[in-house]
Formats: sequence, structure tokens, C-alpha cells
Amino acid sequence: MRLRLKGGRVLDPANGENGVASGTVRDIEIEDGRIVAATDRKADAEYDLGGAVVMAGGIDLHSHIAGGKMNLARLLMQEDRRAFPEMPGNFCGCGGGRAVPTAHATGCRYAELGYTTVFEPAMVGANARGAHLEMADIPNLDTGAYLVLGNDDYFQRLLAAGAGQEQVNAYVGWMIEATQAFAIKIVNPGGINAFKFNARKMDLDEANPHYAVTPRKVLTTLIRAVTELGLPHPIHLHGCNLGVPGNDETTLATILATEGRRLHLTHLQFHSYGTEGDKRFSSSAARIAEMVNANPNISVDVGQVMFGQTITASADYMSQYRNRGLASPKKSIGMDIELDAACGVVPFEYKDKSFVNALQWAIGLELFLLVEDPWRIFLTTDHPNGGPFTTYPHLIRLLMDRDFRNAQLATLNKAAQAHTLLAQIKREYSLEEVAILTRAAPARILGLKDKGHLGPGAVADIAVHTEDADREAMFSTTRMVFKNGRLIVKDGVVVELAQGTTHVARPEFDRSVDKDMQRWFDEAVGLKSKHFRIADGELRHGAGPTILKCEGVAS
Amino acid sequence: MAEVQTIHDVACGFCGLGCDDLTVEVEGRQVRATAPVCPEAARLLRRLDTADPMARVAGEVNSQADAAKAAHHILAAARAPLIGGLGVDMAGAGAAVDLAIRFGGVLDHYASEGLFRNYAAAQRTGWLSTTLAEVRNRCDVLLVVGDDPSATWGRLFERLFPATPLFAGANRRVIFLGGAPGEKASAQLAGANVVHHATTDAVAALEALGSLTAGRRPPGGSFGGIDADTLAGLAEELRNAHYAVVTWNAADLGDGDLVAERATALVDTLNVTTRAGVFPLGGRDNIIGVNQLLLWRLGYPLRTAVRGQTSSHDGTLFATEAALADADVLVWISAFRPEPPPDFGGKIIALAHPETVFDKEPDVFIPVGTPGVDHAGTVFRMDSIVSLPLGALRVATLPSVAEAVRRIAEG
Repeated sequence: MRLRLKGGRVLDPANGENGVASGTVRDIEIEDGRIVAATDRKADAEYDLGGAVVMAGGIDLHSHIAGGKMNLARLLMQEDRRAFPEMPGNFCGCGGGRAVPTAHATGCRYAELGYTTVFEPAMVGANARGAHLEMADIPNLDTGAYLVLGNDDYFQRLLAAGAGQEQVNAYVGWMIEATQAFAIKIVNPGGINAFKFNARKMDLDEANPHYAVTPRKVLTTLIRAVTELGLPHPIHLHGCNLGVPGNDETTLATILATEGRRLHLTHLQFHSYGTEGDKRFSSSAARIAEMVNANPNISVDVGQVMFGQTITASADYMSQYRNRGLASPKKSIGMDIELDAACGVVPFEYKDKSFVNALQWAIGLELFLLVEDPWRIFLTTDHPNGGPFTTYPHLIRLLMDRDFRNAQLATLNKAAQAHTLLAQIKREYSLEEVAILTRAAPARILGLKDKGHLGPGAVADIAVHTEDADREAMFSTTRMVFKNGRLIVKDGVVVELAQGTTHVARPEFDRSVDKDMQRWFDEAVGLKSKHFRIADGELRHGAGPTILKCEGVAS
Repeated sequence: MAEVQTIHDVACGFCGLGCDDLTVEVEGRQVRATAPVCPEAARLLRRLDTADPMARVAGEVNSQADAAKAAHHILAAARAPLIGGLGVDMAGAGAAVDLAIRFGGVLDHYASEGLFRNYAAAQRTGWLSTTLAEVRNRCDVLLVVGDDPSATWGRLFERLFPATPLFAGANRRVIFLGGAPGEKASAQLAGANVVHHATTDAVAALEALGSLTAGRRPPGGSFGGIDADTLAGLAEELRNAHYAVVTWNAADLGDGDLVAERATALVDTLNVTTRAGVFPLGGRDNIIGVNQLLLWRLGYPLRTAVRGQTSSHDGTLFATEAALADADVLVWISAFRPEPPPDFGGKIIALAHPETVFDKEPDVFIPVGTPGVDHAGTVFRMDSIVSLPLGALRVATLPSVAEAVRRIAEG
């Protein structure tokens, strides 16, 4: 099957091509789902792009799309589902919701925006099988999941007993394989565990009340583990003290704790709060951005707050419990999970007239605009925690259009306006930079060599946008989207449902750990380790995963 | 003679407790569980070397293919189908939702009453809950409300009270508020410090306990037949616990919704100063898994209707009994056990366990295999977090629900 997309302006930063700037148009050729070098062979189908902007399919490296906490959110927020019923003209009756859309709606809404790959950033091992079943029901998207590690009692016990790095690495490798994960996520390192022992906060150097292990130790040990196992994505960290004014110091200390090793700081906006001013809540975005700029080993995503009703769902039960008083509507769910992790689900309405919410909005944008290297910052709202992913087009306009941004800012809480330097920031993102943030850079940080670009050999996941000076309008819809070379969206409407794949990473590890895992599961968890493990055939309705083999370094 | 094959570490999908250490002997078509196994699992896993029943249409023996065609015709002409029973594994649940999308229909599980009593509390205020391995290792005070749950979950206390929990220490406390622990529970709790307080009104007792735990002494000398001072003592124990857990079986309690609400409030109070969680019991025949799948596919839990490309949820109107009043076709699906369909005047398509005894011959009967006996499958445990892979114990001679539904859809 050969396709030809004719006359597009190709925007492909990974390969240094910018047809938007140069004004040149060219064809893109696809053979059996992959992009190939141009030939003069007859194509089975041709699509005239009429000079539209062509990019690789979008990649969201942090969006909560599956797992038990999302179902708890759906259960708790039936209001969201009822307020956003199925859209007319869909394939079936199974789409709806905005803050917590169904699997079907997630796949369709993302595809309409030109996204074709999305990673679930907080899969709990105990719930991994369920998360994979759910991901298999998301159409149009390739997925993958980061395994939440570091708060589990097995790991905490290892550290408390002074286990060597090799032992830790074997455990991490076993868990990645058993749960079919792609990367390691740490959520509030050790804090979720400490909350089970009734600790209510956990600083970077505070000892766990039971194990006496510090978050710093958790972090540095797991950073070493993923490095030595050769996992492509660095530790994906949701740091200590989420949402707490003054957590800027923790964030800065966390960056220093890496000692130059790679680390991804996720939803950095929630970790960039100072305590200045009469409200004891201020922006530390400038300080933190400066630190990020100075440390090339650090990458970040923002977790931008967008105004309106949403629901927050996190493994960070300690923080979610602390914030449950802010729930709107007033209800929340919390759960300790299986000697493994936890979750907290709190509905939230971000209000533009609220000082704190308005400043959170501004802090996120300050980070976007003050972090200089577009290859190390990613466009996220921490869906749905800062806002639903469907707000991305609006967010892109905020980044690309200073007048628009300042006009929005002028409508917000007055005190918040006085506490942000946003109005003075002149930077406007270019289209190329947006393409880096949403395509090229995430592919690079995830180690997905055949994604995020349009060179020969790339998976033919392609988004075509008609250029529009109103960037929100431009990114709100797509002229065409191709998934594996199949046209799935035409003129903004999903025309076909594609079955995606799930990316998993497969590191080498010392398999003698299996015996100890069996003992642990038998005695402590009360489940057989072999039933905890997920077979390849359990993924994607039997199709199995797409495996990325890891080249470990000598330990 | 077939050889006896002994299979270890068999996972069990019947009651929702998710035991996965069963030993089963298979001899040709015969299956029998040895140990460890609870009486219900032993009964439901037992298979004799008997021939499978054939599919039937209007009582006449038919091929599976023709039965599927007949079912397709009935559904194609149906005005308001109810897809009920839903004792299915995850693949069967997905197929049932596909069927509802194709032909329209209300989706409910036959054991959903308890689930929705709990949801009355969970959806209004939310709750703070916990899972099996946490209870097993952390819980130092367990409050069991209602009757001894061992009759339904034969190995519950064995699973929750291992010889050496990681954190709970020795002398773990178990408070039965309601029925007395039976012989089985007492044996499994031999290492624990068990106390029983009979009550005539668990809701009143639980509510008073909640107030006392919050430091308020409600007016009155006794609550639900339990002396106020006794309850004050229990409140003190709960407050001093490191990790208290409240458990109940809402399906078994007429006022299960109120028990769930009071238990939730009690646990909320406890968490202000110490740690605690609710651990609601349930989970029969993969109801939790089916409910999970509905939530991610339709955005609604069970008791949801799919009509005209949209779905809507109503916990009262779309409960089986109420929905049957408006339905003209009942698709009854029960793969785990021979659960007969409820009394119904309209047409019945039964995708059912081969041993099902029908009060009234269904219009179409398609016998299906059992997940975890005849074919592999996935089921969720009662806590909605952990799911288990069930293996096949013998060669399947009957289709799975997923296969049978697919044939019906194809017509």
C-alpha cells in the first residue's frame, strides 16, 4: 500500500526541515504504514494538502488516560460524563466526558487534535493489568505506561536493609517486565508510603517513619537503576510537597540531588511555588527556570493549569488528602493500594478570579516562556489534573500570541496579576518550537526513534493542519490525520478507528531475583507473583506490545 | 483411562476474593479442587465427565450457529433489551457492551444491589478505602459490620490474617458488630483478639461509634442494643489504632447504603489523626471487572442503558428488576455459575452455564464455558485494583461468552 501526501509544507524539526519558514512544499510518501523516500511509483491513494502544515503525529508524554484512578474519577464525577454526552455522528455510543473522557472519547478527541501517541504516567503495579485492558480499548492512539515505583514496601525494605544497587536494578527490571511498563515514575518519593504510617508531609531529606529511608535516597537509587538498566526515558519524577507554598526550595534541591544525571521533572508548575507576599504564595518560576536552563540533564513538563472544572487524580494520596478540603464539588476518594502505592481523586475547579488559581496559571506560562530549550520542556496540562487535554489549542495560542496572552492575563484576579512577571515576557513560541514541544522532543526523551519526525523509516503518524493566524483555531482541528498510514481524521472528523499499539521497555536484569519476588508475593502480598506478571498476549486484545529493547550499561 | 493431572496455583474467579493458590485435579473432562479451597469454589469448580447440553431454540435442540441466528433475529426485532446477569470475564464483558451498542439495551449485573448501596455513599461524599494486601499487613483493628462474611468468602480471614503480617504485629483486634463469628472465622482468627457485640441496629451502633470517635457523646444509654460505654471503649480502640479498617457486605444488609455511609464517615474521622480505610466486601462473578469496563468504555457504571448511539445511567430505573418491567427481551448471561434468569414475560436469550435449571424454557439457550475452567480469562478482585488471569483447566467444548456473543452479532 503506497500513499502520497502532495504539496504540504513540512515542519519536521527533528530533521531540520521547516517548510513553513521557507515556503517550500513537497510530497510525503508512505509505504505499508511507514514513511519512505520519495519515488515515482504509482500510489494507491493521493491526498492533496494544498500547502497545509504537515507534522508528525503529536506525542503526549504525560496524560492520565487509563488505570483505576481514572475509573474512580469517572465514578465520582458522573456530572462530567452527563455534561459531555456522546458527540453526534460517532461510530458508537461509547464516547463522552471531558475531564475524564471514556477510552473511546480519549482516542477520538486526541486524534482530532493531531495526537497519535500518549503515555499514561502513573500505572500502579497492582493495577497494571487493568490499566492495560483499558488502554487496549483506546482507539487511534499508541500508548505506554510509566510504572509507579519507590513507595512500595518491597523497595523501601531493600533500601532499609542496605541492599546493593545490583539488587535494586534486578527488582526494577523485574517490575518493568512484569507490569509491561515503559519507564519508571516516582510519585512523592517515599511520601505515599510514609502516609500509610501516618506521616502527613515528607521533605527531601526526611526519614520515613518506619524504614528511615529518605526521598533523596529513593530518588538517587532509582535514577541509577534506570541509567544502569538502559531505560530510554529518565526517571519521571513527581516530586515532594506538590502544591505546597515553598516547594520551590525542594525542587531546586531535587535538581541538585541528581548530580548531573538525567531526570524528568513532571508538572513542574505544581512544584514552583514560593512563599513571598502577603498571601504567602508566590511564583518561583524564574528561579526554577534558571536552574533548569543551567542543568542540561534536566527535562520538564509543565502541567499548565487551565480554568474550569476538572478532576485531579494522582497516586500522591498524601498530597491529595491534604488538598481534599479544596474539592469542588465537595467529595473525594482516597485509597491505599497493595503495599505498592495509593491514589487520591479530588474534583477541582480552577477559577480565574481566585488569586491562587490565577497565579498557578501564570506560573505555568512563566515556566513555558522562561525555559529556553524547547527540546527539554513539554506541553502538558497533566491531564486532567491541571485541565483536560482538549484545552491544548488554547494553551498553544497563549504561548504563540503575546497580545492574546496579555489580554487573558488582564481579566484575571488583580492581585495575581501583580504577582507575575508574565506581562513583561516578550517571547512568543514559533510553530517550529510548538512542533518540537509536542513531537520531536517527546520522541527524543522517550527514545522512540521512529516517531516524532517525518524522515524515511518513521511510523506514518502524521497530522495536517491548515494554517491560521489564530493558532487556537489552527490547532483545534486537523485537516487530516494518518495513523500508521491510514487516514483516521478528515476535516476534523474521525472517519476510521485504528487499533494502536502499546510501547513497553525490556531491560536485561539478573533473573535470580524471581525467587525472592515469589516469596514476597506469597508471604506479604498474598498473591502469586506469576499472576501479578502480565503476559505479552494480554496486551492490545492479544496483539501484544511493541518492545523497545534496552541496552544496559555495566553496573 | 485418563491420567490424573494435578494443577497448582489455580486462580479462582467466583466470589471476588481472588484466591490464586488452589490445587485442582483434572482427569479427562473431570475437574475437582483439592486444597486449599473453600466449599463454594470446590462446588463451582467441580466438573463430571458428562456431555455438554446442546444449544436449544424454543426448547428444540439446535446447533450453536442456528441458535446464534435465532438470537440475532430476536435482538434485531427487540425494542428494549436488557442484557443482564453479566457473570462474565473481561472479554465477555467487552462483548456484552458491544452487543448493547449494536442492538441497544440496558446493562446490569445480577449481584449489583450491594455495589449500588455502597455507591450511595461513595458517589455523594467519596470515601477512603484500602485493599487486601494493606489490610493483611497493616490493619491492627478490624471492625466487621453485619453477619460473619465467611459464609460468602470462605477464606476471607485466612487471607487477611497471615501468620506474620509485616506491620500489624501480634494480637490484632477484630470487632464483630452484628452477627457472631462462626466456627470457620474463629479458626482463621485464632491468632487474633476477637470480640463480638451483637446489635439490633448496626446503623445506629455505627453512627454512635462515629460520634464517639469524633469526641462527641450522643445522648442515650445504648445504641442498637450496645451499651454507650462499650461503644466509647470501641471508639477509643479505633482512635488508638495505627490502621483501622471497617468492612461490611452491603448486599447482605437491608440498610447497606446507610452502613456504607456511616462506615465512610467513621473512617473519615479516624483519618484526621491516624490511618484507616473502608474495605467493602463484594465482587461475585466479576461484577467489579464488568463495572470497571463499563466505566472506561461508557463512562458510567452498571445499570446503564445504551440507546440510539448514546448511553445514560440511572441506578434505580436501570436496575434489573425495574428495567425488566420495560424490557421486551432479556439476554441473560451467566458463565460462572448456573444462576437462572429472573421471572420475565418477554423473550429470553440465555448464554448460560450448562447446568442452569430454567423455570421456563428460554427462547434461545446457548450453553457457554466457564472462565477459569474451560477457557482462560481475566477477572477483577473485589477491591477493583487487582485483577487475575484465569487459566483453562481442560479443553473447551463450549464457546466462551465472547465467542457466543460474536456469533450472535454476526447472525
